[in-house]
Amino acid sequence: MTEELKVAVERKPNGAVLYTKGYINNVGGEEIANRAYELMDDGVRTLLLNLRDTKIVNSIGISILIEIIEKMMDQGGKIAFCCLTPVIHKTFQIMGLANYAAIFENEETAVKELTL
Amino acid sequence: MTTTDQRQMELTLPMVPDIEIAAARAAGNLARELGMSSEKVDEMMHAVIEACINAREHGYCADNRIYLRFVGTSQGEGRRIDVWVTDRGKGFDPDDERSRRAAPGTAHKRGRGLQLIEAHMDEVDISTSRDGGTTIHMVKYEKKS
Repeated sequence: MTEELKVAVERKPNGAVLYTKGYINNVGGEEIANRAYELMDDGVRTLLLNLRDTKIVNSIGISILIEIIEKMMDQGGKIAFCCLTPVIHKTFQIMGLANYAAIFENEETAVKELTL
Repeated sequence: MTTTDQRQMELTLPMVPDIEIAAARAAGNLARELGMSSEKVDEMMHAVIEACINAREHGYCADNRIYLRFVGTSQGEGRRIDVWVTDRGKGFDPDDERSRRAAPGTAHKRGRGLQLIEAHMDEVDISTSRDGGTTIHMVKYEKKS
């Protein structure tokens, strides 16, 4: 049984938005990381992860998201999240992501605040 | 007089990738049948996922199985669901798990599953012993009395 995560990218003038669809586990987390690192290598320093079509995350997937945040911070950039379900929002707070990445209710607000 | 409605389900699942999703969906369906709110159901499902991952990561057991039992109880305005997740593996140290931190810049980015289980559920009890397996019993209430 596999739950494949799909990732779509939309480039913006000052960064990019990653859209996830599906379960963020170890495999899904690695998929997000690969796409994020490609964007960073391409000079992107502001990245918004829109999780509107992700309903479940696990601790391993979150640990990979933390590694992405860490790498972006090392490069002087920033990562933010939007459109989280209440339980994913709570999970991010428990795991400490909220201390290192901004969380927005919707994409419109995030794009405006991040000046994407 | 208050009537009590109880539903039970038992599952034995193989330790294969993403099997935790099957377990979580089964638990979620039972909780929804009881009338639990979607937020409570989602929290419980995330806890079940972490408990199954814990069984897979710490199990190392010959039978390669995860044993789950769900009991949903509805009584008056109160609802609760009890979940037992059992493996027959080598056990683990819950205090060691709890001491890990996943924030950027720290060495231990993994191993926070137990903390998530305890945050998402109302009661958690862990019985574990070396080579004696592990059972995580957790309870979610819809409305605490």
